[in-house]
Amino acid sequence: MIARVIVAALVFLIALLTYPGALAVSLATRFTPAPATSPGPQGPLPWLHVAHPRGDMPYIADDQGRMVLLHGSIPASLLEFGPGTGSAYSIDPVVYADGRCPPNSPSSRYPPLCQADLAAMAALGFNSVRLPISWSLLEPERGRFNTTYLDRVAQLVDWAGALHMYVIVDMHQNAYSHFVAAGTDVDLGTNSGAPGWATITDGLPSRVYQRQRELNPAVLEATTNFWYDRDGIQDEYIAALAFVAKRFRDQPIVAGYGVYNEPLFGWNLPPGFEDLLLFPFYRRVIDAITGVHDGLPCWSGFFMPAVCGYRDLGVDDRRHLLFLEPGLLRQVTDFPTHLGLPISSYPNLVLTLHAYTHVFTIEQLLGQKPRTATYPWGGFDQTYGFAKREAQAMAAGLFVSEFGNSPADDDLLLTAQVREQELHLTGFAQWPWKENGAGWGMYKPPNSPQDSSGCLHVSRERLLARVYPRATSDPHLTFRYDSGTGAFSLTATGRAGDAPTIVYVPAEDRGPIATSGSATSSVEAGDDGSRTISTSPTGGNFTVSIGPGTLDLKGCP
Amino acid sequence: MLGLLALPFGVFAPFAILSGARSWRRIHESGGEVQGLTSAVAGLVAGLLALVAFLIGTIYWLVAS
Repeated sequence: MIARVIVAALVFLIALLTYPGALAVSLATRFTPAPATSPGPQGPLPWLHVAHPRGDMPYIADDQGRMVLLHGSIPASLLEFGPGTGSAYSIDPVVYADGRCPPNSPSSRYPPLCQADLAAMAALGFNSVRLPISWSLLEPERGRFNTTYLDRVAQLVDWAGALHMYVIVDMHQNAYSHFVAAGTDVDLGTNSGAPGWATITDGLPSRVYQRQRELNPAVLEATTNFWYDRDGIQDEYIAALAFVAKRFRDQPIVAGYGVYNEPLFGWNLPPGFEDLLLFPFYRRVIDAITGVHDGLPCWSGFFMPAVCGYRDLGVDDRRHLLFLEPGLLRQVTDFPTHLGLPISSYPNLVLTLHAYTHVFTIEQLLGQKPRTATYPWGGFDQTYGFAKREAQAMAAGLFVSEFGNSPADDDLLLTAQVREQELHLTGFAQWPWKENGAGWGMYKPPNSPQDSSGCLHVSRERLLARVYPRATSDPHLTFRYDSGTGAFSLTATGRAGDAPTIVYVPAEDRGPIATSGSATSSVEAGDDGSRTISTSPTGGNFTVSIGPGTLDLKGCP
Repeated sequence: MLGLLALPFGVFAPFAILSGARSWRRIHESGGEVQGLTSAVAGLVAGLLALVAFLIGTIYWLVAS
């Protein structure tokens, strides 16, 4: 009899800790009412949230309920890479005040990030910036947060706000940390993320296999220890993110937070990695920051199973977006590696896609060329089509938080990606803004060591300084921009009284603007030569178009 | 064992159910000669739990996505 009770208890316990428990908690969040919130303080930009139309795809929306498309780039200059400790550039905001900019460091892969960079982004029509930060700089010593680093982030937020750009603060990592040991084929200059005290490798060797920085036993072990909350390091990460969220709690310029960049599975297999470790971790972060209680009350400080929620850390932030990435394996396969279970009752969740088709997808590991690749079978559309389904199942909006490629492949890869983003109505963040050497930046490498960059890649200017709707009341609108001629057409439907659809036209495009159908329209010229078309529906279909012409491109080939 | 494995790795669920059900039948038919009823039932229940969880999860995906 005792044996039967013990076995029954064991089955129940394992069921609770694994899929049956995870499923029950996930489905419960689907039926839990969204937490109450209050309007935030007014700022230079409206607060964003995720709208949830019944039976339809959620989307990022502004305070008038309009779908908002965010276009932006990703400066990597605030990250700490290895070897050693310390940012390549000062994190003291004073160094950057009044338009000052430190000289470019040849030892850094990325140039410094200065006020002029934000202005250049805005001039290309970017209305957002994804700003990666390093946990290792935020919490270099356990339990002690670096307020100077946050001051530097706040400085960038202020600059962005003055340019009417949103900031997505992104807790970044690459191959877990640069505090894993040096070893065969290990380039610590590409690793970032966790501080040394949170990098527990258990003595496993640090060496890279298949030239993939993530395929390193020390990295996989350290990552696994994070997911299993060894020594409470996951608790510290949640506390670090809460510290950031507390600083910007009332700041609408901060669109939200990227909770964890490119989550590596460690030694765990999908779909269990995402469904039982990653997504429950996201739920705990949400519980901690927002004060909702979606998971079960549990201990903290060591392994927390999937059913566990997290205590309220007193931030009470219920206004910001939380950008959540699926696991890295999903990003490199362009295929869902999880069940798409709902994570939280908190409504402002955005599933983020890293769209690296034919760049990092698995057929590239097999040496295939992009133009003749046999995978993904669904082409560039595959990852977007699946991502929309994943996001809808998780009751989240969708955003491309990273994509990029070598400038030599812009005609194929970048062209295809921006077209897919138009078709699927997703915003984007392009990786990276600037890069020293022959990298993927928007700009060519610097001509002298002091310069932060060479000239703008004309192919990038052509493709990314785009005409696009920044806000619209019709979440089903369709639009198409021809980066060869500058021609643009948008078709939408609206009711009389709906908030206007705002179309941004960069200075590069001088084509004639026309509006037809059931709408009235006005055009406002910007100081930088850009134009903004505001179209108010009067009830019915309307179109906004720009005729073809010659683009006024400033970059160099 | 298959049943316990099925809970985190649902792919084992059908095998756990099959194995548990077969063992249960053999134990019943042996008239007390073959032992292990507790393990057989535990494997069967765990396999069924895992299968139900995965079926619900899959149906949710199909309906909600």
